[in-house]
Order: sequence, then C-alpha cells, then structure tokens
Amino acid sequence: MSGSANAPTTSSAPPSRMVVDARGSWCPGPLMELVRVIKEEPVGTEFELLSNDEGSRKDVPMWLEKAGHQLVEVRSETGYDRYIVRKSHE
Amino acid sequence: MKRVVILGGGIGGTTVANRIRKALEGEVATGQVQIQLIDREGIHAYQPGYLMVVFEKMRPEETRRDEAQLLHKSIQLVKGEVEKVDSAANKVVVKGGKELPYDILVIASGSVIHPELTPGFVEGAHSFYDLANAQKLRAALHDFKGGKIVVSVAGMPYKCPVAPLEVTFMLDDFLRSQGIRDKSEIHYTYPIPKVFGIDTVAQPMQRLMGERGVTIHVPFNVDKIDPAAKTIKGVEGETIPYDLLIAIPPHRGADFVGTSGLGDKGNWIPTDRYLLRAEGKENIFVLGDATNIPISKAGSTADYEAEAVTHNVASMIRGEAPTTRYEGRVYCWIMTGLAQATYIKFDYLHPPHPPTPSFAHYWNKVIYNRTYWDLTARALF
Ligand SMILES: Cc1cc2nc3c(=O)[nH]c(=O)nc-3n(C[C@H](O)[C@H](O)[C@H](O)COP(=O)(O)OP(=O)(O)OC[C@H]3O[C@@H](n4cnc5c(N)ncnc54)[C@H](O)[C@@H]3O)c2cc1C
Repeated sequence: MSGSANAPTTSSAPPSRMVVDARGSWCPGPLMELVRVIKEEPVGTEFELLSNDEGSRKDVPMWLEKAGHQLVEVRSETGYDRYIVRKSHE
Repeated sequence: MKRVVILGGGIGGTTVANRIRKALEGEVATGQVQIQLIDREGIHAYQPGYLMVVFEKMRPEETRRDEAQLLHKSIQLVKGEVEKVDSAANKVVVKGGKELPYDILVIASGSVIHPELTPGFVEGAHSFYDLANAQKLRAALHDFKGGKIVVSVAGMPYKCPVAPLEVTFMLDDFLRSQGIRDKSEIHYTYPIPKVFGIDTVAQPMQRLMGERGVTIHVPFNVDKIDPAAKTIKGVEGETIPYDLLIAIPPHRGADFVGTSGLGDKGNWIPTDRYLLRAEGKENIFVLGDATNIPISKAGSTADYEAEAVTHNVASMIRGEAPTTRYEGRVYCWIMTGLAQATYIKFDYLHPPHPPTPSFAHYWNKVIYNRTYWDLTARALF
C-alpha cells in the first residue's frame, strides 16, 4: 500500500485522501486492507482502493453497506478498479 | 570499504545476509565489503513452527537456533537492540550508544505482537503467536474435556494470514483424535463477510468448514474480550461466549521504525513494492513483515523478496542501478488437518488456486520445516 494523507481535515478543508494500492493483495486481500485503514484514519477521510481482484466488485460494496461507510464512486481502470470510499463514522 | 548493515536476524534478515555474502563473495573475502547483522538476542526463531508446537508436531527447541551458527563466518553478528536509524547520517544507533555506519541498510525487523491493544486479550485469550503462548495453548488443549472453542482475529494486519484457517482445521482433527469432537463446538470469526480475503481461497475453505461442522461468524471485528464472563464481543454487536478462546493478537511494526520517522501509523515502512526500497531512501531496502506492502506477512514473502534485495544491494555496491523487481511471489501451505494440507501460490498478477488438500502437500511442508535451516536460512543452494 502506498498511502499519503493530505493536509489535516478541518470543517472547511477538503477531506484528506489516501491511496490504498491493494493490487496483487490476494492474501490477505483488498477488503482486509480497506477494513484495516478505515479503522486507523479519522471520520471523513476518503480512500482510493485499487484492486485487481474481481471479488472486490461484490465484497467492497457489500461490506461498506453493512459497516455504514460510503461508496462514493467505482471507476474501471485498465486491469483494475478504483473504489472511492469515505469513512462515515467511528 | 563499503558497509552493508542488516537489521534483524529472523527469516528475512538471515537469508538475505547469507545471500548478499554469496553474491559479493570476492569483495567480502578481500575486505572491500563488510556485512554486519544486528539482532536483539542473536537467537533465530522459526515462527511457523509455533503452530506445530501447539499440536505436538514440533518440539519447542526445534523452532530456535543460535543465529551465529546460521550466518556465514564472514558476516559479523552484533547483538543489541536497535534504537534508531539515523538515515540522514547513514548510521544505526544501538542501545548503549554503539553506532553502526552503513552505505546500504537492509531492514528486516519483522512485526511485533501487541495483545494489550485488545481489551481483555492478555487475561482472556489463548494465542500461538509466540513460543510461550503456543506452549500454554498446547497444555490447555491437552486438558480440554469438551466445550466451545472460538477462533478469532483481533487485529489487522497479522502475519501468516492463513493461520486462523489452519488452527481451526487442526483443532477439528485434534478434537476428533481425542474422542471429544462431539462434545465440542468450533466457532470461527473473521473481520470481513467471508472466511478469507479472496474468493478462490474463501470458497473451498468455507466448504471445508461446513464439512467439519465449524460455525462461522462473519463479519466480526473484535471490540473486546471479557475474561470473567468468558465472552468475545464484536463491533457489529454480536457477543459470543466461549470456554476456550484462541485469538490472533494485533500487530505493529518495530518501535524504532516510528521513532526514526521511517514508518506509517502502524510503524510499517512505506516500501516500493517492486524494488523493495524504502520510499524516498536511496540506500535503504526493506523486506519481510516490516514493509507496508499489502501482501502476506509471511516467511515465504521474505524469502522471495530476499532474491530481489540481494541483486539490488550487489548492484549498488558495484556502482550499478538496482533494477531487479520483486513480482509479489508468495508460496504458503495451509494445514487443513493434522496430516493434510493444501497451498496457495501467487504473485501480484496471478491469484492463488489452492489444490485439493492431500497428505502429499502436508509432507512437503514437513520437509520444508526440516530443511529450512540449511536451504532458506543458510541459503545453501
Ligand atoms: C504461528 C505462526 C505461523 C506462521 N506460519 C507461517 C507459514 O506457514 N509460512 C510462512 O511463510 N510464514 C509463516 N509465519 C510468518 C513468518 O514467521 C513471518 O512472516 C516471518 O518470520 C517474517 O520474517 P521477518 O524476517 O520479516 O521477521 P522475523 O522473522 O520476525 O525477524 C525479525 C527479527 O528482527 C529482530 N528485531 C526486531 N526489532 C529489533 C530491534 N529493535 N533491534 C534488534 N533486533 C530487532 C527480532 O528479534 C527478530 O529476530 C508464521 C508466523 C507465526 C507467528
């Protein structure tokens, strides 16, 4: 994962964004990476999860719905998908 | 003279030290290159053996060796606790004040277990992630007369991602062999909505759990353990009572990584996933559990990564660019009983497809455990 958080979040500042490059993360898997970083970062943080695991297309939205975090967008890139996710609560 | 300093005498540090020595044999023999390895105790722990200790398939002493016996005689072993890496001054500071200057640093300091980060873990849970606890769990299973066993993962990331699956299947076999399976329940919890991170592994493993009568609770992210009430509570709201709890503790990278300004929030070192260089540091390589690369924290990962690090260190010593890429290769066995196993083999582009479990795959694992010291640690081939 190459993570980079921008300026600290304030009420007026745009949310910080972190890239979670989980391409090739077959074990433990992209969703495990997402669950991990969501726990660590503050509410409002946006994550760009990159995954080349087809299972993520089902798993990621399903888990986000259960956990109550927001799936902002899914973009298909060449050979992988980019999931934009926002942490909604602690 | 150029100095290569390796930090950590576990699986990654030991094999990479021996391989770098071999790759630079001439330079080391003539004193143009010096290789030093720093390790806290100078004892090499083969941690995959801990699970085997729980089920009496390895003896505790078979998991430990003197590091000095594993390193080639031309590699200098320094025993001590690394306090800090001063990357601006290219030196490592060891507790007590000793300083080791380096031209190239290889960090293989592994991961550290932190059971205290989960409330109630230390008092309420068994574990097998260090030798002492593996031995305690072995004794507890020996005395177990039946009841409810819960297997759970208390934090992420954790090393050997398949270990919770393995302990579950081995436990099932163990209870059968003791004639108490019918008096026992096995419950498996996992933080995501399936029993493992990707479908190609999760589906066959879930099928196997069904066949073995394992009850699955997913997603289950551990909130706290209540040792008095003997319950484990998940943030999703479910509380599971247990008679015996086997849990995987939370992990972090080594403390000095944080104090040296080299790590992220969990003290994992941001690392180029191909060249295995610490991000922004020309002359620091990282391998094994210490990286932030989102693949298995496993001895196998460290072993394959050591190939790329060896080539890249040798290239830099010879004034060439480090160009060898680690392609994400990993090979791990999954024990599916006391005498059967399957395996996962993958790289960044190719997901694993575990074959049908068999005795033959298990036997390969036994052979690997026996030959580890010579083939991997000493890098004799
Ligand atoms: C129960 C269990 C089962 C496992 N099963 C498997 C398996 O089947 N297959 C597999 O591939 N992997 C398995 N693993 C994982 C594997 O053991 C680790 O991923 C592997 O040891 C990582 O290697 P490493 O070199 O990065 O770190 P380690 O082997 O942990 O070595 C790190 C070394 O650095 C030293 N160190 C750390 N900090 C300092 C400091 N500040 N100063 C001085 N020295 C320091 C430590 O003392 C240690 O010797 C298992 C692990 C466990 C716990």
